[in-house]
Amino acid sequence: MIRLVPDHSARIQRTEKVPFTFDGVALMGCAGENLAAALMQAGVLHLRNAPGDGAPRGAFCMMALCQECVVFVDGQSVESCRLTVSSGLVVKSRR
Amino acid sequence: MSENHDIAVIGGGIMGCAAALRLASGGMAPIVLDRGDLGQGASGVNAGTLSLQIKRVRLMPYALKGHEEWARMGDAVGFRRTGGYTLAFTEREAELLTERQTLKAEAGAPIEFVTNNQILTAEPNLTRRVLAASYCREDGYANSSLTGQYYRGRLREASVPYRERCAVTSITRDTQGFVLHTGGPAIKARRILLAAGAWLKPVAAMLGVDLPVDARINTVSVTERMPPLLTTVIGHATGLLTMKQKGNGTILIGGGWQGRGTPQEGRGEVTADSLIPNLSLAQFALPELGQARVLRSWTGFEANVPDFYPLAGELPGVPDAFVLGCVRGGYTIGPYIGRLMGEFILGHSPEMPVFDPGRDFEKDAT
Repeated sequence: MIRLVPDHSARIQRTEKVPFTFDGVALMGCAGENLAAALMQAGVLHLRNAPGDGAPRGAFCMMALCQECVVFVDGQSVESCRLTVSSGLVVKSRR
Repeated sequence: MSENHDIAVIGGGIMGCAAALRLASGGMAPIVLDRGDLGQGASGVNAGTLSLQIKRVRLMPYALKGHEEWARMGDAVGFRRTGGYTLAFTEREAELLTERQTLKAEAGAPIEFVTNNQILTAEPNLTRRVLAASYCREDGYANSSLTGQYYRGRLREASVPYRERCAVTSITRDTQGFVLHTGGPAIKARRILLAAGAWLKPVAAMLGVDLPVDARINTVSVTERMPPLLTTVIGHATGLLTMKQKGNGTILIGGGWQGRGTPQEGRGEVTADSLIPNLSLAQFALPELGQARVLRSWTGFEANVPDFYPLAGELPGVPDAFVLGCVRGGYTIGPYIGRLMGEFILGHSPEMPVFDPGRDFEKDAT
């Protein structure tokens, strides 16, 4: 691949890894990282089921419009792309 | 330039349009005028419930006929006959339910009382805390947001002219009848029918008539799409809840909780003070609503007079002027009472009595 700008990825400073859960499964993510991104990174793509036909849905637009990444946190439905990872965060799916 | 019509209908909601269609089929040449778009007032923003269980006893024969009209309009207005349950959660509510629904059943509505088992089999997602319930197989809903487009099509088919965004600013008389002044050319009509809903009072005032019309500011909310949770329309013994799940999964929640504002000031506003108890009652009845987000809440104006019976007849003191509105349960009854009003104006004797707008409103407020 031809790079137009130098590869600086090695210089990205990651925050510390913290534990959180998704439907009771223990996962790790970087504190402060976007929750939808952290779930993807952890291999969790299926976040909810479509209300009509029950088909699997997951993060799509990553900007809080499509509603496909909605999860339950603290008893509320929230777009996971609008949340960040924190230690001990309990995330439940709408599957 | 001005135009001549047999009758001008001011207000293109359900009642005005239904009356105009009947007048046209009876040989008159009507024109329908609306200050906004057709069917965008109460006709287009209500929760769409068609329930005999929430109709006034004396209006039941009209509501039964109204249901027939909606069934005929069918898919074009999103009509669904789903059946409906009315719920009571406390002893007091159960008494109220028995008392009210018995009277409505006696008035001809096919309402029956059902056991908890029946209701939990039919609607397993409802709370287990139902103390008593009634059922009416005729109940259902239509999609009020389709009202305008439906009547626009019907008027066009019947070659009835209509003007939208055409507010009448004053009304004068000439030898032939009425002259309606608008932003554009004046409109002449031999007769006039006021069907302006919550705006009846200022419109009647243009003819020097003071109608004691007041407006309720009813709140409606819609949730995001949810998995199938309800198949029927749900009400509450007090009348403070209506709830149904539409084909797309959204749940519509009404019940006549009061927002804020007046028709003169615009559209009206939702207030947290009434919205929260409205949604709480809905969630009590259907616990799964706890998982749902409300997408939008809005208000609509429901016009009424002090005795809460319709205005449907001659405008007092003004020959050739008629008024139609203030019908409790007007969405359900509107298409039918509009037709009755058409017959009345045509000089036929209507199938059922109309309601004299010149009556004493302080009497018979039962």
